[in-house]
Amino acid sequence: MIIALAALLAIQDTNRIAEAQAVLSPLVESYGVSGAEGPVREAIKRLLPAWVRTETDTAGNLWVRAGQGDPVVVIVAHMDEIGYRVDSIRSDGSLILRTRGGFFPSLFEAKPALVHTDRGSLPGVFLPRDSLSLRRAPPGLRASVGATTRAGAESLGVKAGNTVTMPKHFVRLAGTRATGRSFDDRVGCAALILALRRLDRSKLDHQVIFLFSVREEIGLEGAAVAARALGTTPRRVYAIDTFVSADAPLELPNYAVAPIGAGAVARALDNSSITPPAYVDSLAALARARGIALQVGTTSGGNDGSVFTPFGVVDVPIGWPLRYSHSPAELIDLKDLVSLADLVRAVAEDW
Amino acid sequence: MLIAGIVLLAVRPSGRLPAQTVDALARRFAAMTAVTGYEQAMTDSLLTLLPGSARDRAGNVTLTLGSGAPTRVVFCPLDEVGYVVGNITDDGYVMLRRVGTVPLPNPIYDQQLEGQQVTLFGRRGPIPGVVGVRSTHLTRGRPAATESPFTVDNAIVDVGASSRDEVLRLGIAMLTPVALTKRPHVYGTRLLAAPAAGRRAACAALAAVVLSKPRVRGTVLVAFVVQTRYQRDDLATLSNLHGPIDIVRESTMPLVASLSVKFEDTTVETVDLADADVLMKNLVRWFGAVR
Repeated sequence: MIIALAALLAIQDTNRIAEAQAVLSPLVESYGVSGAEGPVREAIKRLLPAWVRTETDTAGNLWVRAGQGDPVVVIVAHMDEIGYRVDSIRSDGSLILRTRGGFFPSLFEAKPALVHTDRGSLPGVFLPRDSLSLRRAPPGLRASVGATTRAGAESLGVKAGNTVTMPKHFVRLAGTRATGRSFDDRVGCAALILALRRLDRSKLDHQVIFLFSVREEIGLEGAAVAARALGTTPRRVYAIDTFVSADAPLELPNYAVAPIGAGAVARALDNSSITPPAYVDSLAALARARGIALQVGTTSGGNDGSVFTPFGVVDVPIGWPLRYSHSPAELIDLKDLVSLADLVRAVAEDW
Repeated sequence: MLIAGIVLLAVRPSGRLPAQTVDALARRFAAMTAVTGYEQAMTDSLLTLLPGSARDRAGNVTLTLGSGAPTRVVFCPLDEVGYVVGNITDDGYVMLRRVGTVPLPNPIYDQQLEGQQVTLFGRRGPIPGVVGVRSTHLTRGRPAATESPFTVDNAIVDVGASSRDEVLRLGIAMLTPVALTKRPHVYGTRLLAAPAAGRRAACAALAAVVLSKPRVRGTVLVAFVVQTRYQRDDLATLSNLHGPIDIVRESTMPLVASLSVKFEDTTVETVDLADADVLMKNLVRWFGAVR
């Protein structure tokens, strides 16, 4: 009897992991550098349950409202990813690039590139340095689409303002682990989608706004638009975003050590907000009551919820542990996504 | 039977292989990994692809076309500078040792691994992993890390395992070959970007010519050569194993099938596949002529 129950639970776990991957994988393989989140927004719409009605505001944020009445609660995850934009095209046809968001440019040097033009994604390469520089960082990154003149590049549809990324691939690793680029914050978006799929709307006695925001990586810009629109109406905001974890061999162990695979993380202190301790305790109690794995920690980085706090809205950021953030090798455990989705649902229904 | 086969080879119209087949072969070869000294998976593929080919005692894939004098040789190097597993830690991380050219082909050769997906060619098949990198967020506000380029000594491969035993169960062991995950990338007008793209496109041109059953004057030894990026003298080995070879250098045809590249020894080493077409035509002409 006990063995049969254990087997049943294992099958359920496997199904949950499979569903999590089925939602996350197409999100990760969509491209959406800050300010150009359209493909991600469309992927999210395709993955949402049929009952959902979406709205897109002038900034590009995607809104989903569930339930009615006070207190209004906002749960936000961001759609954008780090990358580049074309600053200008040189006479030799190469593209001068500017970063969008913070990351190590050396991770993109001498790698395949995609230039996202109005006509579609155009393959190219991030050029290797043309000197024998012994520094780790490349001296300003450029890309090539194979054109040898400015007119040649323009004839392919390239223009200033196009975004540039590296091709992405979601790959399963050992056990329930996976790698890819832009898990930050597609895991957060996936958690909201999975929570919406399982949400018991009959339990909602207040309005919950599920917000998929734009331009987080370049200064929380999309969330700021939403925060201004909502003003003092919301009571709480939950930023569902990466918990950059020091559970990795190259990191200092002073803080941020949230092991991957051990569940979602209350991001109680970061570089943009401090969660009031009573709220952390309350969140932990909610997780315990629902049997959801939850860690509590502190890490670096900012979160979308912080731009709501000037309106007196309490920010309770929740994340999942991520190794190697803002790199092509970001690494997660899918169990943490399941845990996070369950916690988002619990917050919406019970808190 | 053998004689009939040779006659058929000789009367078949030469150089008819369409260019897209060369492109497909080049992409296929560029997707393969052949760490110098550990090329067996790629040579196995060549043996399957090229009827009549055999693996010699040095590990090269060779094929003899035609008969009689003179005996000539043409070869392409197929190996690459790469990595093997050097150590596995108790907590399931994998360390690497570079195999191949010393000094490095360029200062950022190893750095191209940092924060990227890699493939470990274990005994149970290919296993995906990543090479770790410090999280950007956790470096902010802290003293800058070294400004020197990343080296293989900094490379820690994460396959998602939590213990040495879990790594071993995946079929990964000491000396398992490791390389950046190969995803050949075509851009511009038939520009192929991939690690070792030039060598692979040249080998593709040579293989395409062999598959087109060209007219052959005399005897031609075709070789796809291993361990060229280690310490071996390619020609001496071929002569020792397959000699005597009458003509080893000619003004009109390089002994080594090769192509010029841009961004050599980088992840986006780029070869123009139009050049592979030209190489193919030159090879066909060379196979059928003796000067």
